[in-house]
Amino acid sequence: MQEEDVFIILADDDEDDRLFFEEAFDELKINTKVATFNDGVELMDYLNKENSLLPNILFLDLNMPKKSGKQCLQEIKKEARFKDIAIAIYSTSASEEDIENTFVMGANVYIKKPNDFKQLKKVLSNVVTINWQYHTSGLNKDNFLLRL
Amino acid sequence: MLRTIVKSERVLKITFGISLFIILCMGGFAYKHVRKLVDSFNLVEHTYEVNVQLEQILSYLKDSETGQRGYLISENTEFLQPFFSGRENTNNTFARLKQLTKNDTVQQNNLKKLNTLIDKKLKALDQILTLTNENKLNSKQFNALLIEDKKIMNEIRSKVSEMINHQNELLKERKKLSTESLSNTPIIIYSVLILMLLLLLLTYFRINKNLKILKFKNGQLEVFKESTNQSEIVNKHSTWTYFTEENRYEFSDNLYRLLGEQPQSFEPNLENFYQFVHPEDVNHVTEQVTKMMETENLPFLYYRIVQKNGTIRHFKAYAKVLVSSEDNTRRVLGTTADVTEEVQSFKLLEERNLELERNNKELSSFNYVASHDLQEPLRKIQTFISRLEDKEAASLSEKGILYLDRIKKAATRMRLLIDDLLQFSRTNKSEEAFAVTNMNIMLENAKQELAEMISEKDAKITADAIPMITVIPFQIQQLFTNLIGNSIKYSKKNTPPIITISYSKVKADDVLKLKKPKYNYYHKIVFTDNGIGFEQEYAENIFVLFNRLHNKNEYSGTGIGLSICKKIVENHQGYIFAEGKINEGAIFEVFLPLK
Repeated sequence: MQEEDVFIILADDDEDDRLFFEEAFDELKINTKVATFNDGVELMDYLNKENSLLPNILFLDLNMPKKSGKQCLQEIKKEARFKDIAIAIYSTSASEEDIENTFVMGANVYIKKPNDFKQLKKVLSNVVTINWQYHTSGLNKDNFLLRL
Repeated sequence: MLRTIVKSERVLKITFGISLFIILCMGGFAYKHVRKLVDSFNLVEHTYEVNVQLEQILSYLKDSETGQRGYLISENTEFLQPFFSGRENTNNTFARLKQLTKNDTVQQNNLKKLNTLIDKKLKALDQILTLTNENKLNSKQFNALLIEDKKIMNEIRSKVSEMINHQNELLKERKKLSTESLSNTPIIIYSVLILMLLLLLLTYFRINKNLKILKFKNGQLEVFKESTNQSEIVNKHSTWTYFTEENRYEFSDNLYRLLGEQPQSFEPNLENFYQFVHPEDVNHVTEQVTKMMETENLPFLYYRIVQKNGTIRHFKAYAKVLVSSEDNTRRVLGTTADVTEEVQSFKLLEERNLELERNNKELSSFNYVASHDLQEPLRKIQTFISRLEDKEAASLSEKGILYLDRIKKAATRMRLLIDDLLQFSRTNKSEEAFAVTNMNIMLENAKQELAEMISEKDAKITADAIPMITVIPFQIQQLFTNLIGNSIKYSKKNTPPIITISYSKVKADDVLKLKKPKYNYYHKIVFTDNGIGFEQEYAENIFVLFNRLHNKNEYSGTGIGLSICKKIVENHQGYIFAEGKINEGAIFEVFLPLK
């Protein structure tokens, strides 16, 4: 693995969404390494292993069996070891309630799953190329939801 | 009116007291006057007696004198008898006179003088008799004595007549006095009688008036009692009284009827009543009634009773103490009502509420399904379509590409429908969301939302300034967006849409189409466009969910947008009306209450 590779993890129970996600990154000309997990429990098991490589960006689906995205977010934010992971919420719904909650819980960006592959690629490329330092310092409720 | 009676009762008492006092006074007065009459009568009698005695003295003296003269002439001692008896009688009469006049100092003095004169006279007579016996009839001394005697007799006569005169004077004086005081007696007694009569009459009229009032009141009470009876029957309620001091109950007829019994068919007491109370409620009722007998107060009490035929009815009771203003007796006045129908309808309502709640829950879970679960497969279908287009289009036949395009359009439409439906179901009313809002900013936001559409169609929008209104801001923005969007969507081909938004304040009474307005004034916001319009007969239909006037291939609407508008306006207790003319344009009038 090269130094400049961006390590990305997606936790999503939906097989199709994982497929789109991986394909999108395959087509994007960015040096990325993508790993996917089927649910929250699998994700947390991986992260909690001491020798695991921590991701630069973590994409979290909210509605997952066993352990929801919100629970994962809560656990991650409690651990100092994970403080450098940028967290992107990646969900079908964009209800006010979910956006508000995850913002308060400390997620960095909220992405509503697009219904077009081209848009998906654009969104993901935007997220990966965000200057996280800069984005996080100027984060507020209005720019939390990523709009295209 | 009853107050008048109480007041006149006091007046009557006072009148009666005054009458009693006057009668007593009059009695005393009359007694005094009669006394005076008797006194003056006695006085007259007394005077006559005195006068008679005085005359008698004279006559006795004359008797003695006559007897003596007879003896002097005849020397017959028989004549001496009247002489002696005359002397004796004179003395007796004198003693009597003394007795009669003992209170009159003038007469006493006169009597003393008379006494001296009589003594002189008798002495003179004795001397004459002595001289006669000594046969000195023709002596000088004898003649002188006779003259002397005559003189004395004259003096006596004048004295007696003086005394009689005095007595008559006295009588005259007293008569005058008593006449003066007595002459007023008849008029006084007469006036008092008249006064008494007046008082009597007054009292009579007063009592008569009170009687009339009482009669009238009695009649009213009779009517009231009857109407109470009827109202008890109609309203299924009854009354009862608990006499605290006598520990006795009275039940109204309808209480028996409510228990399914004939009126007054059993003795009204607790024991008999408890037999009807539902076994499960007996303890509770007994407890409350025992408490009531102590506190003289019964808060609302709900219980069930079982009629003899087994019917269960729900009762509600309430009682309060009433202290009589008349004699301070205490009694607890109670009302018992049959509330079975209320209880049943309440239960029905409760059931319906639960059902509604369940339905609402189902609806909101449907919302979630629609927002999440339905959208997910659709999103995937759309993404897969875009994958097919990008990667596999080359290997598809021309027809395949056409089909793919149709699938894509159908999916897009489905997404539009789902989004609009969600919008519609989320348009709910919540009081907290109301805020004083700058409507002009809401309008600007709506224009911003539609910026792409506006520039694409080159739409011109002009708007009046709208004042601040208390509304749900995001809903009003949605309303503006939908109305402007609607105008642009249904604009004429090749004619740039012109939309005019005007504002005015109107009085509810002046706008006839506002049905049962709750407020006096309304904000009226009118959207006028130059679009394709519609036939006026559809003016109400266009607000109905999924109701479309145009083929969906011509215009892209879902038939939900205007329904959302109507829902939003109704959430604000407002009104929305549409007016259309084919090929000329449409007018949408929004009325929002001015609070």
